[in-house]
Amino acid sequence: MTTSNKQAILPLLFLVLGAPALALAGEPTDQIKQTTDQLLAIVQTPSLQGPEKEIERKKKMRSVVDERFDWGAMARSAVGKFWHNFSEAQRTEFTKLFSDLVEKTYMTEVDSYSGEKILYKGDKVDGQYGVVESVVVTLKGTDVPVSYRVLKKRAAWLVYDINIEGVSLVNNYRSQIGSILNSSTYDKLISRIKAKIEAKPSESATEKKQGTATKKTKEETL
Amino acid sequence: MVVGIICLGYVSIKLGKIEVWGRPGYEVFAIFSDTGGLRNGAPVVVAGVEVGRVERISLEDYEARVLLQINPGLEIHDDAIVSIKTSGLIGEKFIQISAGAADELIKPGGRIRQTESSVDIMALISKYAFGNL
Repeated sequence: MTTSNKQAILPLLFLVLGAPALALAGEPTDQIKQTTDQLLAIVQTPSLQGPEKEIERKKKMRSVVDERFDWGAMARSAVGKFWHNFSEAQRTEFTKLFSDLVEKTYMTEVDSYSGEKILYKGDKVDGQYGVVESVVVTLKGTDVPVSYRVLKKRAAWLVYDINIEGVSLVNNYRSQIGSILNSSTYDKLISRIKAKIEAKPSESATEKKQGTATKKTKEETL
Repeated sequence: MVVGIICLGYVSIKLGKIEVWGRPGYEVFAIFSDTGGLRNGAPVVVAGVEVGRVERISLEDYEARVLLQINPGLEIHDDAIVSIKTSGLIGEKFIQISAGAADELIKPGGRIRQTESSVDIMALISKYAFGNL
């Protein structure tokens, strides 16, 4: 390497090394990143590999996710105005089932992780509310923007909505749950969610490979 | 002549939906990463029913700040979600608010935090039609 080449590379090197320090990651980003890293560590643990370890693996993942997600706020928000018609027992039952449903849909995605890059674009904080922006770079090189809406409760920033490619998870469920409850009963809604949770996850794995946003939305239908 | 002018004024105000004395109600705002060409005066709907108008769109920190004029009496819960929708495939943009269930209400001048930006339908179609790279 010639001296002039070295001189050209040196500032570039500083730029690359200096970049993480410039992009000031706030507390919400740190906490989201921590949770994501924990999940990916579980998925990649050699002793937890294979379909026969699936139950153990998912159980570990679930406990990590439970610490970061505000299931109560998420479930209430997903039900929307009908929440006030729910009894206390119905609210508890629904929150539990809703968390199972979201967990199933999204943990299946995480479980099939195969080295996609996750970039954190920073966060915005407004009082007790925050938004963490991230981008998942698929193996094909497509960027999928994922933003987490978080709410501060004591020292923890808890997720109350996830926005993938501009589509809100809570709003997606809210419109579907709303139309079910408009034309049907609470029991019917519960039985549909239960059926969805018990359905085989194989479908979503193939859809993931297709990787189109339209298919993803289809997968999240009740 | 005078009657003619008054009639013309009345018709243009009616047809142009020009607000001479300002609208009653209150204002709230929301921040979007992309409005997809939403215009001032676009309708704000809840369950398809018009409940207000887009008052002003401005750029703030490279994001769009959209001010909404909401009809009096309509309560917006803190966890409401505002989305920019398109009527039909290539129709006009409008704002849809999906009602939440939180105990707190958004105060006049307050912000609706949860937003969904305009989804680029043409980009989705081309992704679907031509496939991803």
